[in-house]
Amino acid sequence: MADETNPASGDSAGLSNGLVSHGDHKSRRVYQAARSLHSGAVKDLLSLGVCERCVFRLVSVEAFDSDLSSVSASTLRSWLESGDEKDASSEESSCCIVCLGVLQFVFSDAKQTLLRSECGSDYAARVTDLVKEEGHEFDSFGLEVSVPATIAENERAVLLYLKGKYNSESWLQSEKISVKDALKVLVLDPLKVSLGAKSDSSSFQIRLTYSKASDEAQGASETTRERKKRKTDEENGSTSMSENSFEKVYEPCILSVHCNKMPIFFSGRYFKYSRNVSQTRWIIDDERMGEASVEELIGGNILPACLGDSYKFHAAGREDIDVRMLGSGRPFLIEVQNSRKCPSQQSLTEIGEKINKSEKKLVGVKDLKFIGSQCWAMMREGEAEKQKQYAAIVWIARPVEEKDIDSISSLKELKILQKTPVRVLHRRSPLERERTIHWMKVEKIKGSSHYFLLHLCTQAGTYIKEFVHGDLGRTTPSMGSILGCRAEIIQLDVTDVKMGDS
Amino acid sequence: MEIQKTEVAKNPETDDTIETTKQNQSEEEVEHCDEQKQEEDELRSVLLSDIGDLPLTPPSATQVNFVSYFITDFTKPGHDQYIYRHANGLCVIGLAPTHIAFKDEGGITNIDFNVGKSDRSVLKVSGKRKKNAMRSESNTALCKVSTAKDSYIVRCCVKGSLLEVNERLIKQPQLLNSSADREGYIAIIMPTRPADWTKNKESLITLEEYKAKKEVSL
Repeated sequence: MADETNPASGDSAGLSNGLVSHGDHKSRRVYQAARSLHSGAVKDLLSLGVCERCVFRLVSVEAFDSDLSSVSASTLRSWLESGDEKDASSEESSCCIVCLGVLQFVFSDAKQTLLRSECGSDYAARVTDLVKEEGHEFDSFGLEVSVPATIAENERAVLLYLKGKYNSESWLQSEKISVKDALKVLVLDPLKVSLGAKSDSSSFQIRLTYSKASDEAQGASETTRERKKRKTDEENGSTSMSENSFEKVYEPCILSVHCNKMPIFFSGRYFKYSRNVSQTRWIIDDERMGEASVEELIGGNILPACLGDSYKFHAAGREDIDVRMLGSGRPFLIEVQNSRKCPSQQSLTEIGEKINKSEKKLVGVKDLKFIGSQCWAMMREGEAEKQKQYAAIVWIARPVEEKDIDSISSLKELKILQKTPVRVLHRRSPLERERTIHWMKVEKIKGSSHYFLLHLCTQAGTYIKEFVHGDLGRTTPSMGSILGCRAEIIQLDVTDVKMGDS
Repeated sequence: MEIQKTEVAKNPETDDTIETTKQNQSEEEVEHCDEQKQEEDELRSVLLSDIGDLPLTPPSATQVNFVSYFITDFTKPGHDQYIYRHANGLCVIGLAPTHIAFKDEGGITNIDFNVGKSDRSVLKVSGKRKKNAMRSESNTALCKVSTAKDSYIVRCCVKGSLLEVNERLIKQPQLLNSSADREGYIAIIMPTRPADWTKNKESLITLEEYKAKKEVSL
């Protein structure tokens, strides 16, 4: 071990055990700051059981900064007490009565093993291991820290004691950095190095959560009466804090590390070839309606590729379970929560092919790709303003005649009034909605005089089935009223969903 | 390409296939038309791919989506009504074909919703929760239908909230004569609780039972 007396210039090697020789100009700054602290206050706090970094934090006038990170607690202690190197304490210092070990880089893990780190980089290495367990891929992160409320109370108690003894001192008047912020200052740079990532307010958050080891041992929370007494005492300027007020048992906290990534989005267009597949998962009384859902067939393939926790499906409009989605497909978004990795475009293309080549051919996708914050604007485009195109097979009670084909095709921008269809009236408002049928085209079907293929282009939100059969006369005009006979719809397909750019 | 497509679609066709006019078109446009035609042919074959055999007369929307129930001689002989219940629980109420009113010469000439304490045709139900709907019991009066000879009270038959009455009947009472089971429906009622419907159901009969009872072939 190097001879650690007064700092000498020139010698600037960092030592492997985390201690830095005095030659390093950062530690030199810290040494000088340590020597300049009010020695009486320092001595008092150390003997009360406040840790070295908390002493620095509470007594120093200079800003608490990351230079402190590389100085071990024992070295810092020796600098605070006297310039000389005493036995660099091999004895374990007790748990700080203010920060409960947080700034001493001491904590218990999930298995209740007590872990100590000498300096910031050692602590960062431990945290890195825990982060890596979650398996996220990232190149930048945001750091959040949360500590138990009793730490604030402990700090208040110590400050009260200091005010009692050193009331008018200038160093006492400056605002003190909190334990939470002090920890961030100490470990952010080492974490950046250890994780190999930048720090920013990014979509990937690492949260360090300290929690109390047990209820009693933490200088447990004040009761309401104690809080009132303390507040009136502070007002009166009296303090009953003496050295004796601090005789409680203090235990280090339990640290848990949680990582969370903001949701990522994928967009594409889907096709629905089956008349027995619903758009979203549809379960009534524990029984699934239909044999599958578009949502699960697509989301269920994307989620594993992202190693995410869960997904949400958003589509620009919807169709009934018995209606096929053909033409250019319907735009959709898949939102994945807490993904661990982002699949490449190549993987996405392969996922799309896998879905399209599947044996049952229930659903198809195209243009599956990663999409950023413009995803919601894209969805809104597909919603209310756009036109939709359909093809229906219609039956009427009398044979189709030429004049029928002409009269239907000649109707342009036909306005219809639709009362809320009976089949959705239980969950929608009873309203009368005006809608426009932009154009219609009739194709006869070979071999049948009563059936024909009806192509129509309508305003978004039009109920097509009700337009054909009239919904007990609640949609007017209807196919039946236009042709003057009963009309029924046999099947319906969506043949196009027009968006702004297609 | 888009604009071209709609123009083609607007031309009335006289045959199975769509004929595109090829005069005055450049080669490019002709190519486009061919492509489109191919797309449309493909689309048509997909559209017609799973229809199977088309029956001469398919079941009506009512038959497919509703379960038909009937009640006969409700509070008075000859007062036969139907209750079509949708899978979502809503019930459409109307006059069954054997209702005594249809036997009068000239059929039904008038309908009046102003019975009981209020005019049923002025209720304004709003919102998903169906606020302001009139609560009905099974024997609550719904309306009065009149013929040249007499008038008859039609009742709800279902306990629940009255969501809607068919006010078109006021101006067109002949709908009751021509299509009482479709455009001539009288009201839509939402049973408020599943238990209410289960109890109601006990006094109703099925379509088969109705046919048998009335010896009518429908």
